[in-house]
Amino acid sequence: MNGPIRRIALSIFVLFGLLLSAVTYFQIVVGPDYRDNPRNLRVIAGKAGKERGIIVTIDGTVIARSVSNPDDSRVFRRSYPEENLYSHAVGYATLLFGESGLEETQADVLVSDRDSTISGVIQALLGKNIRPEGIVLTINHRLQKAAYEAIDGHTGAIVAIDPTTGAILAMVSKPDFNPNLLLGTSAGSYGDELAARPDRPLLNRAIREVYAPGSTFKVITAAAALENGTVGPGTTFPNPVHLNLPGTSATIRNFGRSRCGSEATISLNEAMSLSCNTTFGMIGLEIGAGQLTAMASAFGFGLKIPFDLTTAESSIPTIAAFENDLPAVAQSAIGQRDVRATPIQMALVAAAVANDGWIMSPYLTEKIFDSSGEVTRHTTPIEWRRAVSPSTAEALSGFMESTITSGTGNQAAVPGIRIAGKTGTAEVPGASPNAWFIGFGPVQATTGTAKIAIAVMIEDIEKGGTGGTVAAPIAREVLEAFFSD
Amino acid sequence: MTRSAEAALLIATVVVAGMGVALVNFASGGGLDAQVALTLLVFSIAIGAIHMAVRRWAPHANPFIFPLAMFLTAIGFIEIYRLDSRLVSIQRWSLLVGAAASVALLYALRDDGVALLRRFRYLFLFAAVLLLLLPLLPSGWPLHGIEVNGSRLWVKLEIGNRYASFQPGEVAKVLLIVFLASYLAERHIAMAIVQRKLGRLSIPEPRQLGPVIIAAGASFVILVYQRDLGAALLLFTMFVGMTYLATSRMVYPLAGSVLGLAGGLAAYRFFDHVQVRFHSWLNPWDDFAGSGFQIIQGLFAIGSGSLTGAGLGSGRPDLIPAAETDFIFAAVAEELGFGGAVGIITAYALLAALGFGIALRAREVFLKILAAGLILVVTMQAILILAGILRLLPVTGITLPFMSYGGSSLVANILLLTLLARVSHEVRP
Repeated sequence: MNGPIRRIALSIFVLFGLLLSAVTYFQIVVGPDYRDNPRNLRVIAGKAGKERGIIVTIDGTVIARSVSNPDDSRVFRRSYPEENLYSHAVGYATLLFGESGLEETQADVLVSDRDSTISGVIQALLGKNIRPEGIVLTINHRLQKAAYEAIDGHTGAIVAIDPTTGAILAMVSKPDFNPNLLLGTSAGSYGDELAARPDRPLLNRAIREVYAPGSTFKVITAAAALENGTVGPGTTFPNPVHLNLPGTSATIRNFGRSRCGSEATISLNEAMSLSCNTTFGMIGLEIGAGQLTAMASAFGFGLKIPFDLTTAESSIPTIAAFENDLPAVAQSAIGQRDVRATPIQMALVAAAVANDGWIMSPYLTEKIFDSSGEVTRHTTPIEWRRAVSPSTAEALSGFMESTITSGTGNQAAVPGIRIAGKTGTAEVPGASPNAWFIGFGPVQATTGTAKIAIAVMIEDIEKGGTGGTVAAPIAREVLEAFFSD
Repeated sequence: MTRSAEAALLIATVVVAGMGVALVNFASGGGLDAQVALTLLVFSIAIGAIHMAVRRWAPHANPFIFPLAMFLTAIGFIEIYRLDSRLVSIQRWSLLVGAAASVALLYALRDDGVALLRRFRYLFLFAAVLLLLLPLLPSGWPLHGIEVNGSRLWVKLEIGNRYASFQPGEVAKVLLIVFLASYLAERHIAMAIVQRKLGRLSIPEPRQLGPVIIAAGASFVILVYQRDLGAALLLFTMFVGMTYLATSRMVYPLAGSVLGLAGGLAAYRFFDHVQVRFHSWLNPWDDFAGSGFQIIQGLFAIGSGSLTGAGLGSGRPDLIPAAETDFIFAAVAEELGFGGAVGIITAYALLAALGFGIALRAREVFLKILAAGLILVVTMQAILILAGILRLLPVTGITLPFMSYGGSSLVANILLLTLLARVSHEVRP
């Protein structure tokens, strides 16, 4: 009788062996896949309750922090003390709506890996710090506030960059929202309401939406003409009342439907400061689609901007699309037709002129520090691309300074500071135009002087408004705040 | 010597239970409260009573049976407390009832040993069949069956507005083992030797096998009718396994496998819920929100537990449907990790080793069959539900012995091991 007992016992132990193999397989081999499966509610719930790193501005204002639950010290709730001010740049980390902004793209840094992974356990045993790291933003809180107040009441965006490093100094998009309300008890209805609003408050207009850049694009057209050598700073152009476009009855007119200035001829400098559509239409036809698109891409059009946040691509039609469509070339040269740009792209255009033709990679994360305050990573500024030669940059800088001193950008002037800029009033088919201002200061600053490049874009302005009257004054407020300390 | 080793191990399980409850409290910000004290008190009383009874009436019993069982009970109890602290009050009472029943059983067997049970074998068979029939009593009667999750295996006793519910099948299981062991001990020689020829196949004399086939068939039919296929499978394994070890004839497990397969196919053919379970076993992701939900939630829990587990009270086993009953192993695997999961499986394997060791050492046929039957049933029950959770088999709704929430199961399994302990006392080396 012992024979059958032994055989039964043996079968039972084989079954236990199978169970041990199965538990090893499901818990160790494929376990991590189950743990991280997006349908595993622990993924969301675990992230939501976890401590996330603190986010502070470069001048020390706390933008996001994790507050531990009074009932359970292991459960944390995210808090945004500055409420709406950083709703787009820093974003949110929520249970219901996921993550956005820097909270999304830097989640690996901000979320503590205090879990039961094998590596996590080994790190804990080795005494490695497994609390989350914190982030110091490049944003200057004072400037961010100034930008936020300057744009208040409008729909649009402001991006301010240090042209010599690429550090983002301020980034505002309007309308905005309060990320704290995406975490509270009525988070669901608040989030649904935000998502349903026609003015799209969740959209970061500074980097995620493209607009016709209008006359601010003339900086690129002028750059193309200067670089190619057919045009010099002293070249003069005929000055018609309107420009007839070849092969069509369409024309290009100047703002106000009149001649640009009073003379029969006009210099490039004057054409820039007065924003003459006729002149730049002519330049566009002269240099052709090839040179125009090449220069746009030298400034970053059609490319993914290397940045801490995901940006939309600015675009200009391909050379093929321009073929046999000379009117389109002329209209693109003044930033209309199918040319589209994000505000951050246009800020980079101004920054390139300010920085001898070099565009630095923009960045929002100044440094990362661990829970003991030790800096673990420091962002090193790097060049992204060369847009134009230093001499072209210098010439453009001169034209843009004239735009402020004696042109359409006079409302962006800051007393005592040499500001350069370009305005734009971009026509939007079937809607009110968008107002633009791009610029920088100080012009020809000595090395070591703090510099700022800025782009202001205001959507859907009132009748009669222009980039010079709507966007330039907003830019001035930000520039004044920057130069006031 | 052996008894003091048992005492030390039992004290350790009491400490494990108390500390586990305390850890669950700590995890949610609580501390040492009345629940910790009650746990220590109830486990001390229950375990102390069993230990004293063993010292008195079964002093030569194997000293590791109760520590292993109580360790599993303690881990299950902690996890039940962690999942829903309102459930532990019933679980505590069940442990006390189980301990009292164990003491009473040891007392009853003090002079004549388990041999006493042989006298009542047909009474046990009758009682077992009656118990298995109880859930079919129509609702409206004071004692009636209730349907839970599509299976009718619970009985509810209602007097006025007070009621108690229990699963009679759990106790029937133990009674059937005792009946079968007695019957087989008497007939095993006849069953093994007296044979008929059917063509070239030699089969046992039907007359000898009759009662076994009738008992197996009846309980099987009843359980299938109640849609409790897990228990049906367990009872089937029990009948086939015990007949095989009593007769040493391979024809039983072979015929059993064929019958089992045929029965499985028939169940698949005629029961929708069997088809659903079968499909959700093979392709749980096809119906993530429906039939595959429980099995996937179990795997999510096990995978999330990883190597060391989330820690008691720190995981989310509450996301698993039926975490405190059928899927308690997944909950433990999440919070205690791979270490805990392997520990649980190892504890059942050790229990199996002890049980089969006792059966091998026993010289008397009845004791041999009884010990082997007891350990076969309790370990197969554990294996069936664990294999369901770990996708080796379709999920069958049966409890994990000692760990799952449920008074009937705990009491019945304590009684089962009490019998095994008594057998080990009688076959002492």
